[in-house]
Amino acid sequence: MDLIISDLSHHIRLNKGFFLWMGFLTLAFLACLFAYIQQLKYGLGVAGVRDYISWGLYISNFVFFVASSLIGMLISAVLGLIGMKWVHPITRIAETIAVAFAAVAGLVIVMDMGRPERLAYVFLYARFQSPILWDVTVITTYFVISLLLLLLPMIPDMAVLYKRFANLPSWLKPVYKVMSLNWSDHPEQNRIIHRSIYILLILIIPAALSIHTVTSWLFALTVRPGWDSTIFGPYFVSGAFVAGSAAVIIAMFFFRKNYKLQDYLTDLHFNNMGKVLVLVAFVYLYFNINEYLVPGYKLKRADAVHLRELMSGHFALMFWLVQVGGLLIPLILLLFRRMRKPLPLTMISVVVLIAAWFKRYLIVVPTMSHPFLPIQHVPENFKVYTPTIIEVAITLLSFILVLMIITLISKFFPVIPLVETAKDKGLDPLKSIQS
Amino acid sequence: MKRLLYILMLLAAVATRVEAQNPGWPVPDDQKGKICLVKFTPDMVKGGEAIYTKNCQSCHGLPAKKNFAAITPSPGDLSEPKAGTQKDGELFYRITTGKVPMPEFRNILTEDERWNVIAYLRTFHKGYVQPDPEKMAGTAGKRIKLSMTYDTLKKRIMVKAVELSKEGTKPAKGAEIMIFVQRYFGAMQLTDPKPTSESGYAGFDWPQDLPGDKAGNIIVSARVNDPTGSLQEAVVSDTLAIGVPTNKPALTDTRAMWSVSSKAPIWMILTYTLAVLVVWYFIIYIILSVLDIRKIKQA
Repeated sequence: MDLIISDLSHHIRLNKGFFLWMGFLTLAFLACLFAYIQQLKYGLGVAGVRDYISWGLYISNFVFFVASSLIGMLISAVLGLIGMKWVHPITRIAETIAVAFAAVAGLVIVMDMGRPERLAYVFLYARFQSPILWDVTVITTYFVISLLLLLLPMIPDMAVLYKRFANLPSWLKPVYKVMSLNWSDHPEQNRIIHRSIYILLILIIPAALSIHTVTSWLFALTVRPGWDSTIFGPYFVSGAFVAGSAAVIIAMFFFRKNYKLQDYLTDLHFNNMGKVLVLVAFVYLYFNINEYLVPGYKLKRADAVHLRELMSGHFALMFWLVQVGGLLIPLILLLFRRMRKPLPLTMISVVVLIAAWFKRYLIVVPTMSHPFLPIQHVPENFKVYTPTIIEVAITLLSFILVLMIITLISKFFPVIPLVETAKDKGLDPLKSIQS
Repeated sequence: MKRLLYILMLLAAVATRVEAQNPGWPVPDDQKGKICLVKFTPDMVKGGEAIYTKNCQSCHGLPAKKNFAAITPSPGDLSEPKAGTQKDGELFYRITTGKVPMPEFRNILTEDERWNVIAYLRTFHKGYVQPDPEKMAGTAGKRIKLSMTYDTLKKRIMVKAVELSKEGTKPAKGAEIMIFVQRYFGAMQLTDPKPTSESGYAGFDWPQDLPGDKAGNIIVSARVNDPTGSLQEAVVSDTLAIGVPTNKPALTDTRAMWSVSSKAPIWMILTYTLAVLVVWYFIIYIILSVLDIRKIKQA
């Protein structure tokens, strides 16, 4: 038992590596914050977005963030509820990713606002009919549920570590004490926590499906080519699982290496996550074929322009790299067992995740660049969207924030559910704290 | 005779094409000298400012603020010498005819309104002196007065044109009359122009299916077709109850997807509110019950 505690918690301390990493993140954060201050001062004009292509990096990034946050639901709720025991060590990683991305997704929207000080108007003048209101609502709800799903299973862990982990930094002790909620493994306490988690796991499924479906409706409720699609909801959701699974695999790899968790995040977990990735990638491929083949067969005029731009025009290189290099080839590679070993799987996941980001760009930008009414009498930079350095820096800012949140959560709390792992191994860590 | 007319029209079409391709946007010589027949007054300037902000500002920006739209060809700031050095007649012609992408305001603003806009713009042009209407009165041309009645039996609009002169009045023969009905933006021309008869009358069969307001009212106006601008503006306008009474609620009056939140469809408000209430009921319930854990102590 003590071995498990020390294995899973030895990283909870302030060491040089942590300061170096956080220092680096903070510096990068400040540099990117400067870019955002420029945007606040001079307006959205410092970004490449203009009247016609008014959604660029920021909105693509927003969709990517919402997508990545969806994985929490797949791992904890879907796989957890159907009784997959092997997901237990991964659930907290998945929830951490969900919380971090969902928290920052809202900020990404604020970054895309020309007058962020008028944010309150979104709520003051909200319209029930507007998918934007629905989006704000479901993202907030999903964030809260994910946060609860991260915190509730931690309660017993906090109690055990507070009492039994000798090396717990003293400044963290009060935090752990508050978070443990006087846990004493009382049957009534167990009943409450199990029931609560069970309700949350059920609740998070519709909430998660809604957040990405509603995000897809921000596009699909228009008549524009490339967005005017009835399958946009499931198309986005399945794409989200691809991005999220890749993110979880990458995070697993880093935690395993840095926190020395080889005994807990084993090859089996990577193998299984690889299989999950294959499954969701197949579903996503299926939706991709639908999404491009159906309009491509009919070739309505506007769709024809859109598809030509994607497949042989301005966006062709990015499109084929993303579709073939970022989805099809990884999918085929992952069919082989050797490729689902930790290192190759992580490398493939990195490619998949990067492709997933560019995929969001391909969904957002090309449609905006050919509206129904022709673009005329405007300067050249209104017609072709080119992200500016400031825009890229602000986008990086959001990634830095996500990394900071993930770092803080994973550094000061056990990455792997402690009590659950012990119980899976037939130990009862709570006996010792019953007093 | 008719063939000659066609050839002339063809030539005119070719000429306008050539003119449209000319980047200089030339103004015909006989239009340059056109002037406003009254002295600009503060009221005209005020009226012109209101018209300007509604119709011109979106592209030209506010005069002297240089905040015109970044489109090609550049609309430019109208307080600049480029506009300031133009004669009244030139400005008037350009507002009247427009040139892509600038719309033509011939049927959108009346002559008076166009002059008001010029009066407003002139307040930004230093050193501008308005040509004296009194001295120029000779070039003002004929004055024609129109009146309009509706013949309920024959269902026709009758427009009467009378020529005014120092010697008195006489029916204006051969004046080309156009009639318009008012719609949301500008006026819609009905049928082709017709010349007045010997007795100064022109009759227009009234279409029986034009929608009016609740009482069937339609604003009808008639004016003399005056492409050369040699007449003092001859216009008559009247509200006549000759349309089909239409009582359609405005699109934003009913509950609809596109309305404001208070006019959202009931089912939408209910669905949204119920979903939020149900989910948040559980979330708050869970938070409260989890906080209760603190109070439970091992016996």
